[in-house]
Amino acid sequence: MLKSLLKSESLASLVALVIVVIAFTAINGKFLSRLNVEGIVVSASISAIVSLGMTFVIAMRALDLSVGSIMGFVAVIAAVMLSYNFPLPLVIAAALLSGVGLGLANALLITWLQLPSFVATLASFSVIFGLSLILTHGATVTIHNSTLSQLVIGRVFGVVPCAALIAAVVFIVMTIIFILTPFGRHVAAIGGEARAAIGAGVNIPKVTTGVFMISGTLAGLGGMMTAGMLQNADSTIGTGAELMSIAVVVVGGTSLMGGRGNLPGTVLAALLLASIKSGLNVANVPSLYEGLVFGGILIIALMIDGMRRTQRRKGMLVV
Amino acid sequence: MPDSESIARSDHDVAAKAPCKLRAAGLRKCFGGIEVLHGIDLDLMAGEVHALIGENGAGKSTIINILSGRISPDSGQVELDQRIAKFGNPLAAKRAGVSIIAQELELVPTLSILENVFLGAEPTKFGIIRWGEARKKVAAVLRELGIEAEPSQLTRTLSIADQQLVEIAKAIVGDFRVLIMDEPTSALNLEETSRLFKIISRLKAEGVAILYVSHRLWEVFDIADRVTVLRDGQVVQRSLTKDTNSAYVIQSMLGSKSSLISGGQSKSKRNFVQSGRPVLDVRDLNSGGLLRNISISVKAGEVVGFAGVLGSGRTELCEAIYGLRKVDAGTRILLSDRPVELDEPKTSSRYGIFLLSEDRKQEGIFPHLDLRENVVLPNMLNKSARGKANPTSENNIARTTGFGVVSARDELNIFEAMRRSLNIKCSGWANKVTQLSGGNQQKILFARGRIAKPSLMILSEPTRGVDVGAKEEIYAAIDELAADGTGIIVSSSEIPELLRLCDRIWVLRHGQIVSEVKSAETDEEAILEIMAG
Repeated sequence: MLKSLLKSESLASLVALVIVVIAFTAINGKFLSRLNVEGIVVSASISAIVSLGMTFVIAMRALDLSVGSIMGFVAVIAAVMLSYNFPLPLVIAAALLSGVGLGLANALLITWLQLPSFVATLASFSVIFGLSLILTHGATVTIHNSTLSQLVIGRVFGVVPCAALIAAVVFIVMTIIFILTPFGRHVAAIGGEARAAIGAGVNIPKVTTGVFMISGTLAGLGGMMTAGMLQNADSTIGTGAELMSIAVVVVGGTSLMGGRGNLPGTVLAALLLASIKSGLNVANVPSLYEGLVFGGILIIALMIDGMRRTQRRKGMLVV
Repeated sequence: MPDSESIARSDHDVAAKAPCKLRAAGLRKCFGGIEVLHGIDLDLMAGEVHALIGENGAGKSTIINILSGRISPDSGQVELDQRIAKFGNPLAAKRAGVSIIAQELELVPTLSILENVFLGAEPTKFGIIRWGEARKKVAAVLRELGIEAEPSQLTRTLSIADQQLVEIAKAIVGDFRVLIMDEPTSALNLEETSRLFKIISRLKAEGVAILYVSHRLWEVFDIADRVTVLRDGQVVQRSLTKDTNSAYVIQSMLGSKSSLISGGQSKSKRNFVQSGRPVLDVRDLNSGGLLRNISISVKAGEVVGFAGVLGSGRTELCEAIYGLRKVDAGTRILLSDRPVELDEPKTSSRYGIFLLSEDRKQEGIFPHLDLRENVVLPNMLNKSARGKANPTSENNIARTTGFGVVSARDELNIFEAMRRSLNIKCSGWANKVTQLSGGNQQKILFARGRIAKPSLMILSEPTRGVDVGAKEEIYAAIDELAADGTGIIVSSSEIPELLRLCDRIWVLRHGQIVSEVKSAETDEEAILEIMAG
């Protein structure tokens, strides 16, 4: 049983999701109420979008610690622009472009200054967070325009929240890029064995730039959607999102060692972790314990990843 | 008049009728202030196999790296089809039609065979990879090479032999006019090698210019049309293979050291007590279906060998003894008549067992450390070795408790002693280990084992990628180690090596021992027959 769980990365998440749903519903029937489920779906969608970007980064054996601050920054930009009555399409375009730009900045730090991604994005995280604070003067910006909110939590076909649709589109596009384009395969190659990628003529700086620009863009999208969902924005949006999305990626079955990426697993894990968060809420667990719970989940996921690697090495797991 | 002119003509102009595909002229290259290539001229003709041989450190890898675009020469030029070619990177060379089979595997373990073969050269339409078409091409090449795996299998699940075959597949799929092969058969068995040679013949007929680099002289004389010998960064011999022989070529390779070649199956007299206690006694070893009913024993001072094709279980057996592989219950392992459980390498090394793995890149050298640290470091962690390694240490606390600081001077003395006895070619203890040639890296690992004064040393493919001169030096070192009383296991794919080194040889097939022979009473042909079954 343990062996088959080790073998299939997504199976474990699915099983866990089912257990979680059953458990929390048993604790409090409100868990499965329409409002709550919709809330989970929207939250999971935003988390999935950012984590899909992080999946690429981790598949390349890098880390982007700035996604949380990018989310906050873009949320603030969107809110501020809307408060000056800029038309929504322009606001959306500007928001996405900011994400792209910040991702590009990360990429330049990594490729020009030859900084490890961990260090570079840690630095940019501080700078971007600082910029958000300056823009808001520490205050919260309210969004009076409800169109953005509708684009996120409004229902499509009367059933599915818009956010889920957006996440689905992002998932499909990312999957196509990852599996069907040379760029996507090069991302995995660089993460798996950079030396082999160089020998094959892969342009590592170019691919790195692409990956971080994608990560920045998706973080920006996530930030904007969060602002829409909350109807306001301040610099605390996205706090902890980088660690959360790394957790989602790892729980979803992508190894931190790089070389592979489990995109469906990421989406499943986003759903799983959002359900757990909501469940803890509904079960009235003090929010102080949340960190403990998610830290524990991350550790378990990393342990499983480690066990898989050892089993592979000992020749007992051929996959 | 025509006669004197023809005498003055140098060897390689004999083939001048055929168009010269790739020509290197006056190549020079310095690494860290030392010139390693002193003006090399080399040309590759279409439809011809040109062998390049020489000791490790002679400059072969540097030439290959220049021709394939990985590095640029300090002076001299490369011409492709009579036009000057400046390859700034491997991709440019590939696009120009120069394909290379690297000696060190350059596969991404987490990607499939299909993805690896087409890495960097994916066939696309409107930006989307055409996997269907790619898969067909790969399946065809895999069949030609005799690989039984599916294109969708991850390369990390393949045996080393199959991985090398995939590396070859990578090079021969697609369009190319020049093929550089760097030790392509080091992990292949006879059958796979002959299949590869068939492919080489096909490529020859198609007009590809082939550069073949190998230590295996019998292969060179089998497949090559011309041979160029390199020594210390210079060309010392250029001949048609039919005009020369391996003895002559070895002399050119070694220059003044040619007296080192023992030339035969001579083995130094080995003294070990016939009725002595076995250092290692393995009974009924089974491991996960890969190894079955293995029983062997090694006495102190004895050298035993494991023979068998790749996949016969040799490597797995070495791993099992060293604790890298789980063994099933019912296995009994005794060290000097004491039953032990070797569940992890730490246990084995504490018992005085040392393993020189066949994959020295992944499991041997510490690539970021210098030579001294590579030799000395693992032994510092081993308490018993530390005590033994510092017999003259003034620090008695270090000797008795194993704690304390080890003097740098002692470390350097140890390193120098090993360097002298093994003749490791390097400019000093501070060299980075990755700067050394394959043979010298192997000597470093051997030195590491030696100073640990093991009771049992397991050597897996000890001279893989090692040239003739260094091979003899390593063999002498093994003899010396056995004379000191260490029991030695040699697992190798080269039968002459096993016959040279071992007193007894076990032949494995499909994970079982099929025969035990005394090397004095058998020969290469007989062992090959047993291996083939």
